[in-house]
Parts: sequence; structure tokens; C-alpha cells
Amino acid sequence: MLELSSTPLVIIAILGTVGVLLPIISIARKEKGSNSFYAVIAFSALIVSIGYVAYQFISDNILPSALFSKDVLVDDAFGGFFAIAMLIVAIFTTVGSFNYMRKKNYPAVYYSLILLSTIGMVLVAYSTDLVMLFVAWELMSIPTYVLVGFIKKNPSSNEAALKYFLFGALSSAIIVYGISLSYGLTGSTNIGEVIHGYATLDASLLPLALLSVGMFIAGFGFKMGLVPFHQWLPDTYEGSPPTITTLLAAGTKKAGFAATIRVIVLGMVVLNLDWTLALGIIAVMTMTIGNIAAIMQKNLARMLAYSSIAHAGYILIGLAISPYSTLGLQGSLYQIMNHSVMKGAAFIAVTGIVTTLAVTNIDKLKGLGRRMPITSLGLVISLFALAGVPPLAGFWSKIVLFGGALDAGSTIWWAPWLAIAGVLNSALSLAYYGWLTRKMYFEGETEKRVSEPKSVIAIMIFSMIFLVGFGIYPDPIIKFVEFAAPTLSLDIMP
Amino acid sequence: MTTEVLGLPLEIGASSAWLIWILPFIAALIMPGIGKISKHATGYVAVGFALMSAISAASLIPMALEAHEIHDQISWIDSIGLKAGVLADPLSIIMANVVGWISFLIMIYSTGYMKGDKSITRFWFWMLFFIGSMQLIVLSDNLLQVFFGWEGVGLASYALISFWYRDKKKDHVGVEGRTVLGMLDYYAPTHAGMKAFIMTKVGDVMMIAGMLLIFLFAGTFGFRELMHDTTWATTMSAQGLLVPAFVLLFGGAIGKSAQFPLNEWLLEAMTGPTAVSALIHAATMVKAGVFLVMRLAPLVFALSAAGILADQFFEIILIVGAVTALLLGLQGMVNSEIKKVLAYSTGSQIGYMMMVLGIAGLSQQFVNGYTAGFFHLISHAMFKASLFMAAGSLLHVVGSRFMTDMGGLRKNMKKTYAFMWAAGLGLMGAPFITTGFWSKDSIFGAIYTSGHPWALPIFTIAVLTAVITAFYTTRMLGLVFFGSKSKHVKKMEAEGHHIHEAPLSMWVPYGILAVLTIVIGLVGLSFEGGLHEIFTNYLEESFGIYSVHNEIENSILPGFLDGINPVALTASLSAFGIGTGLGYVFYIGRWVDPVQFVNSNILFSTFHKVILNRFYLNAIIYWCFVVSPLWLSRGVFRYFEQTAIDYGMNNGLQKAVGWSAKVVQGTQTGVTQSYLFVFGAGLLFVVLILLI
Repeated sequence: MLELSSTPLVIIAILGTVGVLLPIISIARKEKGSNSFYAVIAFSALIVSIGYVAYQFISDNILPSALFSKDVLVDDAFGGFFAIAMLIVAIFTTVGSFNYMRKKNYPAVYYSLILLSTIGMVLVAYSTDLVMLFVAWELMSIPTYVLVGFIKKNPSSNEAALKYFLFGALSSAIIVYGISLSYGLTGSTNIGEVIHGYATLDASLLPLALLSVGMFIAGFGFKMGLVPFHQWLPDTYEGSPPTITTLLAAGTKKAGFAATIRVIVLGMVVLNLDWTLALGIIAVMTMTIGNIAAIMQKNLARMLAYSSIAHAGYILIGLAISPYSTLGLQGSLYQIMNHSVMKGAAFIAVTGIVTTLAVTNIDKLKGLGRRMPITSLGLVISLFALAGVPPLAGFWSKIVLFGGALDAGSTIWWAPWLAIAGVLNSALSLAYYGWLTRKMYFEGETEKRVSEPKSVIAIMIFSMIFLVGFGIYPDPIIKFVEFAAPTLSLDIMP
Repeated sequence: MTTEVLGLPLEIGASSAWLIWILPFIAALIMPGIGKISKHATGYVAVGFALMSAISAASLIPMALEAHEIHDQISWIDSIGLKAGVLADPLSIIMANVVGWISFLIMIYSTGYMKGDKSITRFWFWMLFFIGSMQLIVLSDNLLQVFFGWEGVGLASYALISFWYRDKKKDHVGVEGRTVLGMLDYYAPTHAGMKAFIMTKVGDVMMIAGMLLIFLFAGTFGFRELMHDTTWATTMSAQGLLVPAFVLLFGGAIGKSAQFPLNEWLLEAMTGPTAVSALIHAATMVKAGVFLVMRLAPLVFALSAAGILADQFFEIILIVGAVTALLLGLQGMVNSEIKKVLAYSTGSQIGYMMMVLGIAGLSQQFVNGYTAGFFHLISHAMFKASLFMAAGSLLHVVGSRFMTDMGGLRKNMKKTYAFMWAAGLGLMGAPFITTGFWSKDSIFGAIYTSGHPWALPIFTIAVLTAVITAFYTTRMLGLVFFGSKSKHVKKMEAEGHHIHEAPLSMWVPYGILAVLTIVIGLVGLSFEGGLHEIFTNYLEESFGIYSVHNEIENSILPGFLDGINPVALTASLSAFGIGTGLGYVFYIGRWVDPVQFVNSNILFSTFHKVILNRFYLNAIIYWCFVVSPLWLSRGVFRYFEQTAIDYGMNNGLQKAVGWSAKVVQGTQTGVTQSYLFVFGAGLLFVVLILLI
């Protein structure tokens, strides 16, 4: 039994209470506006939550990556790591909304949905039972369907929401199908027991087990934005409110990875290892197609959407090589943490640009460096960190990832090719990051400075400190990652 | 005597040894800030710090006299056991004083010379940076640290040669339009700076190769550590690498000290402000090579004494020095630009020092040549810095770098006239009253008594060079101060410019050095004796090199000349007499017109032309290392870069990426049905991979 003070339960309590109370308060106060009041409440709830997770880490109350549990949730370092990454993104989203949601309707509902979705994300990372995981998955997804279409009268927001919802429903169905297959084969939904069952499975039933893995890859791959399950993603990211795009790109995507690691990577070690090759192929496809498509984009949000597809590919490298090198999962986790900040900051910068200047077309961003200096600097640093330029934080996570792939090369022949593909793709990605930087800093002449939203500035400064600071001194994060990353081998079988 | 400096327990002496080179760097760092506050104050601060550095150096003199040595180390790069340190032994203490005090005087001079320059802050920054780097070379206790200073002075030299980077016509050197073998003999400051940087870099690369080679075997860069345990030398010698390693190190000295064949950069270095020429390209930086040889030579000699022979090292030094001395001396006779004459002379005189250091290593009595070389270094630093500064005054007043544009200035600039004579006599080696005489004489003596089979030919070259030196110095003085005023000066006076003496801040520094040339010259023999004693002790204690006490036996001269070799004495007296006499005939007395004299004979005129064209060495270097690579690179650009790389790779890659982006975008139709189809196909694909 989980204790009442365990991290996931406390997060449910805090965020759930606030999330449910917010709309009730707004009905009681009979008002539609007053954005910042609700924003402050939501923000405080998130800060308290992240504080609690951090406190649990500091006071050593967290298990070091317990992989399986008889319970449906486990309070371990792996879940805590993801909880911190996701809460950072939720905080980014909330702070960015201070400005974005001003003078828009139903702020209480908006923040409530963000908090509920955040609970879902966090719980996905803590789940050790397939049904629990599915419930958390839906708790995460359903509020975001609403949030994507939150600007009711904007057709592209509606289109985005509809596409997102259709694919979400499809992928949920596929995940449920996967779960039912594995339940049918093993008679349990507890991940530990499913794996135990798979290990002793009759050979004639193995194809069905692999089919369930395929279902999981496709179902989770939708959230992660893996090629070929990615096509909804650019349309949705472009159409939805930019703050919500932040939540999707930097937050829910990570939940997909958490679920994949919990279920596929940990669980399927016992099956034959063909799934690693499948993940490797998908990783290369994902990063290559993401980067190539990003190069020609004219819309900033869409460019970043494709860039986030590409990044899913990088992260997937670590998953694909996880059985062969301990650096694999460490690199993935490291990249996930950095990506939360880098991509979160980039999309919040887009939020700032959209709310201040009402443009997203890259050609109209000429001289942005003069118009919005701090936002531009934050955006450029995030972009270069995404590209993995030293000495920014993104450089180190890529080093660990690609180094892991080279390390795995001693066991599996194709692993170094993942590193080569990753390096080539990073170079390719600089083409559009650099192009955007040039637009912002080296073109245009006559622009005047405009006042930048304070909430955006705060996030920019935080992320710059994070990216540069942990770029110069990466040691603490590396230690954290080593603590949180599960070690993978056949011995961990329950 | 320990005290806390920056939390480090240091001996007082050690802390001042550190301060000698740290102070100028601190001053350089704060200089831009001071320049922002007040341009006027920069000069005072710079001179003040130079003075403090010089005083720190002076405070160590008692140690040098007591043959006391300070060796203080702090850890630098722990992982490979590297230490940074100062090594204040008599060699470095005396050198640090020469550098420190001459720098100080030249800094004072600069306050007058550079007055009103818009970039004065930059000037001070680089001057101080230079002094710091130079003192770093002098006081380092290991080769790697020396190399840092070495590159520092190179950088400062580059920045100061190109100081007037706007390349105005008056800041060029050479004669406009003159070509040698199709190469222009006319250089802009920026070009000259680059030339100096690149040419010395050739030597630097050799030096670092030599350093690393030694480090590979010895595992240390430290001078004392290398001496302490010499097993590395035995190993290297057995593999035939010892001499190459030391010769590579000497390559650095060749570059920095403008020795043949890397001598050509020094002439163009004269585009820098004259204060720079005086400090860097006459008195200090170009001596860094000599200093490096002086650091290494006792080590090599001690190794030879221990049976690890490295005579070729000294032979190469000897030959390089002799060739340079003669070659550059000859060229000094014909040039018409005053600073270039002095530059040729500098290279030639450094050749002397190299020559005698080489002979020292090949003779029994190492200390004689060693002392002679160092003595000449000191005396040359004084009179050449003085001559350069005086030349700067002339340039300042006349506004032309050509001696033919001067003439007859002795009445207008009496002080400069007197001081230039005094310093000039030092360079000529005027008997008994100048330092130059005694130092040159001790060089002759050391060569003559070395007992080496090459002694006689080398001695001949040395004496011949002394004749040439006396000649071109007289020529310079004659052209500038005697005869009638040139057209240029007359034109200036007609335009209302008054030809006047330089300001106080300018003539005092070179006056001091000129007077010192004479004053030390008057007691030259005992000064030399003192140096000799210091170095005898130093070589004994630090290197175990014992001198043979046989000097007095072969002395046949009476009285105050006791201890001087009579042959050397005769040679230096006659060299002075012949050189000065010839110079007097042509340029002071003007009894014979030099132009007519040269043209009177096809042999003379051909010879004159060859010398004037720098023995074609500069032009050949340009053809081989500048023009040909440019052709090659243009060819590569046209036939490889523009075709294969540009059309093939760059355009091709761009087109390929653009094309694939279109293809990928084509799949992104926006139609939900097709998305769903792709999703389904993807699921099928994944399952198929897993099942197969």
C-alpha cells in the first residue's frame, strides 16, 4: 500500500483539489474574467507540488527507480524525475498564460484543465499497472482536447482540436487493445506480472505478445509524435493556443516517453529484442523527417512543432539502445529534462511574440532582436540548446545520448548508425535555427523596442540561467539523471 | 623572511620576482578603464607601473651579486604535474633589470613621442602587455611558461608594428614603387605586422616542437629539473634526438631574434612607432632569442661535460650568428632609411651575441664567451635604444624617414647630435671609453682564444663586421648631421617650420642611455670583470661548469689593459679606425662622392645593387611562400572549390534538402482521412517489423 504522504497521492490531492475548486469559485463569484486571480492560484498549487517532489528527493523518501510494484502506483525516482520535468512545463504554461489569457473568457476552467491534465501526466510516470496507466493517460489527454480548442471562435483552433481528438481517440483505442491482449495472455494488468507472464509464455503465443507491443508503440507513439504517427502534430501545434502548445510539446509528449519506458522498454526486455530495431528505425525516420520538414516552414510554431518531432527521434535513440548500454536511458532522461526547458521556453517565447506582435510568420520576425531583445535572446539560446551547441545544456544530453549509441555499438551493430544519424540531424537542424536567428538579429533595421510581457521575460531568464548554467556546470543534472534512470538487464525481472 | 602575499607564503625576494612580470599585466588590464576616465592619465599610470616593475627587478640585484638564487613554484596544471614558477638567478635578474629600466625610459620617451595620438590607450595597453610578457620570458623557470611569454611578446610586437593600421603613406617603410625581382619593396604597417607575426611563427612552431620533444623524454619543462636529472638526455642522445630537439628550440630564437634565414621581418617591423622599435625591435624582444640560448647553453655545455655531446648545437648557433652579423651589417651600409639602418645593425649585433655564445660552447673556457655575449647584450641594449629614440626625434622633427631628407641638422638639434654621437660611438666601438668597445673586444678575445679550428675564419668575419659597423654608423651620423641641409629640410623651413630640439621628455631618456654608454664604458673593463665573476660563480654552482684559470698567464699588456688579449685589442682598434675613417672620407669630410664612387666600377655597382636588394632573400621568400601558395590557392578555389564544392556539394546538398522537404510537406496534406491512413499503415509497419 502506498502511504498517504507518497508523492503521487499528495500531487493528486493538491492539484486535484485546486483544479476542481477553481471553476466552483468562479461560479460562486459569478464572473468570467479576472485571469490573474486564477493564474496565481494555479501557479501556487504547481509550485507547492514541485516543492513537495523536490522535498521528497532531498529528504531521501523516494525509492531509487523501483521498476515494479504490487500497487498501481509507485513512488520512485523515475516517476519523480518526470514529475519535476512535467511540473516545470506546467509552470511555464501557467506563467505564460498570465499574459496570454488576459481578457479571454473562462480563465478558471482553463487553469483547472491545465492542472487536471498535469495530474494525468504525472500519474502516467508513476503508474505500474496498465489500467492505472490508461486512466492517467485519459486524464492527461481529455483536458488537452478541450484546451486545444479553447479559442472557440477560431476555426484553426477548432480544426486542431478535432484532429487531435480523433487521433487521441484512435490511439486510446489501440492502447486499450494492447492492454486487453496482454491481459488475455497473462491474466493480469500489473506490469510486473504481465512481464513475468510474457517471460514464461508459450512460444506459439509469442506473435500475439509482439502484437501487443506494436499496439503500445503505436498508441504511445501518437503522443510522442513519432513518425509515422505524427501527422496530427504540426496542425494541432499551429492551431492551438501557444501556451497549450507548450504543454503538449514539452509536457504530454514526455508522458508518452514515461509510459514507453515503463511498459515497453522495461517490460519487453524479456521478449526477443526485435523491438529495439523497430524503435531504432522509427528514431531515425522521426528525426530525419522532422528536421527536413522544419527547414522549409514559414510559420514559427509549425517549425518548432517539426523540431519537436525531430527531438522525439533523438530521445528515442536512448530507448532503442537501452538494453545494450546504461547510457541509453540516462541520455533519454537527460534529453527529456533539457527538452522540457528548451522547448517550453521556445514556445513561451512564441506566446510572447504572438500576444505582443500578433505574428508567427518567420518573414515578419525581421529585427525581432531589436524589438523584443530579452524574448529573442531567450529564444535563440533555447534554439541553440536544442541544436546541441556547446556549452549549453542541450549539448551534454546529446553527448550522453550519442555516446551511449556508440557504447552500445560493441553489442549491436546498428547502434553507432543512430549516433551518426543524430549528429547529421543536429547539423541539419542548425540550418533552420540559424536561419531564424539571422532573421531576428541580422535583418531589418528600423525596428523599435516594444514592451515585452513580464511573465514571458521571467520564463526566458529562468530558462537562460538553466540552459547556460547547467551547460557550464552539468554535474548536478547528470547525478540526478544517474539516480533516476533505471538500469536495464534481465536481472530486474520480477 | 617570509610574508603573506595573496594568501601564499612567499619569500620577499620571490614576491618581487613575481611582481616584476605581474605588475605590467595588471597595468595593461586596467588601462582601458583608465583610458575611459582620462586619456591624459594613461601615460602616468603606464610609466608608474613600468617604474614599479623596474624597482622590483632592482630589489633583486643584491641576490645576483651574492650569487643567490630564488626558485619559487606554484602548481599550475596538476594533472600532468606542471608547475608555474619564477627563477631569479643572476642571468634572469640582470636581464630583468636591463629590460625593466630600458622599458621605463622608453615609456617616458613615449609620453612625448606619442603625445596627442588618438589611440594612446591602445598603445599603452600593448606596451605594458609587452613588458609583462617579456619579463615572463626572463623570469620563467620552465620552457612552457617561457613559451607563453614568447607568444605574448610576439602578439604585442604584431599589434605595435601595425599600430598605425590606417596605412598612411608616411607610416610605410621602403621606397615607393621600388621592386626587387618583381616584388614590391614597400610595405604598409598592417602588412609588416602580419609579416613579422608569420615569420616569427615559423620559429615558434619549431620551438614548441623542440619543447614537446624534450618533454616527451624528460617529463618536465623546468630548467632546473632538466639539469637535476639528465637521464632523459642520455636516452635522447642514444636515439639521436638530443641535438635536433635543441636545434628546434634554437629555431624559436632564430625567428624571434631575426637571425638568418628568418631575418627579413625585422626591417619591415620599423613601421611601428619609433618607441616600439626602440623597445621591442632593438633593446628587448629581439634579445629574447639570445636570452633563450643563454638559458639553454650552460645546460647543453654541462651535458657535453658529462659525456653527452651536442657540439652541433653550438656549431649551428655559431654559423647562424656569423652569417647574420655579416649579411645584415653589409645591408646596413647602403640603406637610406635611418630606422632600417638601425634595424639592420640590430640584427647584425645580435648575430655577434649568437656567434660568441656558439663559440663559448665549443671552447674550454665557457664563461668567457658567455660573459662576452651577455655584456654585448647589455651594452647594445643601451646604445641601440638610445640611437632609436634619437632617430625617433629626428623623424618627429623632420617628418621623413629618409636620411637623404635630413642633413646638416647638427646646429638645430645640439643635444640629439651629442647623444647620437655618444651612443653611435658605442655602436662603432670607440676605444676605451664606450661599453661597445669593451663588449666587442671581449667577443673578439673569446673567439680568438677559443682554440676551435673555426676560430680564425669566424674571427675574420667578426672583425670585418666591426669595420662595417663603424662605417655605417659614421655614414648615418654624417648623412643626418653633416653637410648641407637637404631640399626637404629647406622646403620645411621655407614653409615656416622651425627645426628645433625634441621636447624634454624625449631627449632625457636617450640622453641618459647615451651618457651611460660612455660612463660604463669608462669603467668597462671592471664592469666586465664583475660580470665575469658573477657568471663564473653562477655556472659553477648551478651547472657545475668550472672555468680554467689561465687568463693572466697569456696577458702581456701593461696596466689597465691587464687581462686583455693583444690580438683582439689590435683587431678592435684597427676595425674602428678603418671603418670610421672610410665613413669620414665619404660622409663627414665628404671628400669623395659615394654615388660616383659606387658607379665608377662595375664590380662596386653590382655589389651595391645586390646588397640593396637584400641579397634577394626577401624577394625569394615572397616568391616561394607568398606568391606561389596564392597561385595554388587560387587554382584550388577556381578548379575545386567553385566546381566540386560549390556546384557539387553546396548547391547539390541544398537542392536535395529542399527537394526532400517538399516531398515531406507533400505528405502533410491537412486531410484527416489521409493522416488516419498513414497512422494505420504505420501500425502495420511496426507490427510487421516485430513479427518478422
